[in-house]
Amino acid sequence: MNRALRITAGLAFALLCLAPILIMLTRVGVSDLENLGSERTLGLLGRTLRLGLHSTLIAVLIGAPFGFLLARTDVPGASLMRPLGIVPLVLPPLFLAITWTAVFELRGPWATALVLGVNTFPLVALFTAKAAARIDARREEAALLVGGLGTALRMELPLLLPGILTGAALAFAFAVNDWSVPDYISSVGPKFNVYADEIFANWQLEANTGKAVVTALPLVLVTLAALLPALSLRRRGALATLDGDFRRPAPLRLGVWRWPAFAFCAAVVLFAVCGPIARLAFEAGGGTRGFTTTAFREAMATTLEFEREFLANSLIWSAVAATIAVPLALVIAHAIERLRGGRWLEPIVLLPIAVPAILFGIGTINLWNHDATAEIYDGNAMILLLYLGRFLAFPILVLSGAVAALDPRLEEAAELAGAGPLRRLRAIVAPPLRPSLVGGWVLVFVFAMRELDAAVLVPAANHTVIFKAYNRIHFARDDSVAALCLLILFFLVLPGLLWSLFAREKLEVLP
Amino acid sequence: MQTPPLARVLLACSTIFLVATATSCGNDSSGAAGKHEVVLYCALDQVHAEPLIREFEERTGIDVRAEYDIEAHKTVGLVRRIREEQGRPRCDVFWNNEIAHTVSLANDGLLMPYDSPSAADIPEAFRDPERRWTGLAARARVFIVNTELMQGHERPSSMWDLLREEWKGNCGMARPLTGTTLTHVTALYSVIGEEQTLEYLRGIKDNEVNLTSGNATLMRQVREGQTAWGWTDTDDYWVAKSDGYPVDVVFPDADEDGIGTLFIPNTVSILANAPHPDTAKQLVDYILSAEVEERLAKSRSAQIPLHESLRTMEHPFDLESIKPMEVDYQVIGAEITARFAELKELFLD
Repeated sequence: MNRALRITAGLAFALLCLAPILIMLTRVGVSDLENLGSERTLGLLGRTLRLGLHSTLIAVLIGAPFGFLLARTDVPGASLMRPLGIVPLVLPPLFLAITWTAVFELRGPWATALVLGVNTFPLVALFTAKAAARIDARREEAALLVGGLGTALRMELPLLLPGILTGAALAFAFAVNDWSVPDYISSVGPKFNVYADEIFANWQLEANTGKAVVTALPLVLVTLAALLPALSLRRRGALATLDGDFRRPAPLRLGVWRWPAFAFCAAVVLFAVCGPIARLAFEAGGGTRGFTTTAFREAMATTLEFEREFLANSLIWSAVAATIAVPLALVIAHAIERLRGGRWLEPIVLLPIAVPAILFGIGTINLWNHDATAEIYDGNAMILLLYLGRFLAFPILVLSGAVAALDPRLEEAAELAGAGPLRRLRAIVAPPLRPSLVGGWVLVFVFAMRELDAAVLVPAANHTVIFKAYNRIHFARDDSVAALCLLILFFLVLPGLLWSLFAREKLEVLP
Repeated sequence: MQTPPLARVLLACSTIFLVATATSCGNDSSGAAGKHEVVLYCALDQVHAEPLIREFEERTGIDVRAEYDIEAHKTVGLVRRIREEQGRPRCDVFWNNEIAHTVSLANDGLLMPYDSPSAADIPEAFRDPERRWTGLAARARVFIVNTELMQGHERPSSMWDLLREEWKGNCGMARPLTGTTLTHVTALYSVIGEEQTLEYLRGIKDNEVNLTSGNATLMRQVREGQTAWGWTDTDDYWVAKSDGYPVDVVFPDADEDGIGTLFIPNTVSILANAPHPDTAKQLVDYILSAEVEERLAKSRSAQIPLHESLRTMEHPFDLESIKPMEVDYQVIGAEITARFAELKELFLD
């Protein structure tokens, strides 16, 4: 590929994604490292790790069978439940927390682990499904002939394991970094602290910025320790690149287990997707004061009218950020896969998603709030820069995985035929990557729509719909809050929904 | 030569980005039109502040670019931004819903002195001697009690009642790590002394006092009957009372030897090197006016007016009968960071 293009994309990545982090690291002095490992903070870290492990266990227990059953078996309704199963990942975890704690007496650390586990199980399900769909039919048929379904499943488990572990590692990274769910569940029940409380507390009153930055380091290291193996595992076992004579396996017949399997999958969808949405709809229509469809319609119409501007802001900024991110990510992902030693860049790509959002947000202020860049900092462009910086990593990882699966000889042949670097990228690389390109776009869009913790620090974020929603959740739980949550949810799932309705290819959102 | 499509995509993205930047520049009016605008960082709840700000805009024609915090951040976002932006301040006026962080910003030289004529009849205790900040519309630290759960019990009347065996595990307060509870506990250090404060805090842990994530949470627990009573702010109490819950308020330690009730005012200040100092002064004059304070007092948050001219106004609380705690807000602001570090060791575990 054109070197100038690579350098431009690399510089953009360095400026948007790395500079805000590096600028904060320059504020750290040696003395700031004192008290980092005190008994108290280690205790908090230990509790957070336990919470992460418990929620990951829940995510695996739900996600692995759910992903396998829907991807590889003749369970009824699989085509409908497959896209529905992704919805919890798209939902802001706080939405799950507020609906479940309203319906059930869910309180304390176990409730938090449950909410986070349900929020992240689609990660495990997606990786398991991907691995399960890539087991060669001949191996499976041989196992079925020798010992039936049980033998086939025993043969497949080691092949599925890298997929399950990759999803589990990602689920763990999400869970240990979440602050909104423990904070909210603590606010309706007994208070318990997690390590994110320590980070937040230090940003609150610590005049020494370096000390506040240092507080985040243990959690950053834990997150990287989970994400780096995940990156490596995603190309192992059944997730490895398919060879040329791969034969797609036929759906496994479950026999008498077909309906129990359906009951399990349907229960997951009901519990994790339909339940929260139904609860929000119930509250939007009057809730415990008495639900009516008229009240529901009125709440939705009024909310749409009052919040239209904020919704439009969020949709436009998220869509623009996603549209800029995808071509940039394609160039970087291609470089990662095709340059010698390029894969060493992957851990660096992870940094913006591994550091706490508040640290990234404050780094962004420090980077852009200067006279020379005042117009950008004060205006709407700032929020685009922040979204790009925070979430560019997602399409890069998705696309680097997709580029890895492409045969480089095709590009070499095109080059010999005289095609230039841009043409090769357009005609050879991009077409087979379309599901990943759209998947990357969807990921940036969804995370940008949900972004609050870093964005709240830049001026333009005051005018996003998620900002409005979080403030209103705190002050009241009336019908308009529920209506607003439903509207946000609708727009979060809309791109994926449209793709699944009109496109023939499956959306690829996995790294 | 035909432009390759990918280049066109990149071109389109760059164009979109430039358009967005241009649009944002258009929105920003820190240039020539700057004299008709003011940037407000507002920690007061958006729902209460927004109508007042709109009215100011209508009266003066000045465009107020108000930026709010989310409640979960408890003013941390705005205060941190002010600190991080000090090299090139973009905020003109900071309307804080408490006082300690404001004093801390003043002590660090981030606020500009301004003696607003609107604050002439606000008591000196609520004004910075150097006029870098002025207090208005206070909340008080009170007990909210569930009247149904009080039957057969003597109502709590002193802060020390939290440590009584009778209420073990059945009374509460927010963790003293954020918001007004942190300010309150910091005030106790100077009012009753370090030793007694530590005794009190250890007693709170020993008596299994229900520690919540915020005052509103504690209020919700008391109104639902999950906890009998606890510390909260008057605005939270009044919301529960207005919604018809069986709750009542106690202004604690009101006897002759008692330390009285702590008032925590909102504070308004102008940033040092504010980009629009003239419009900032106009906005501060408006916020500090008796008219605004009266409206806040009559709102759902029932803020307690500080203007002498409003002492006799009709209010949900009998303002004349409340015994105020005598505190030096300068000391609270100066000590809060150090006390916070100690409190973290006790309560963030």
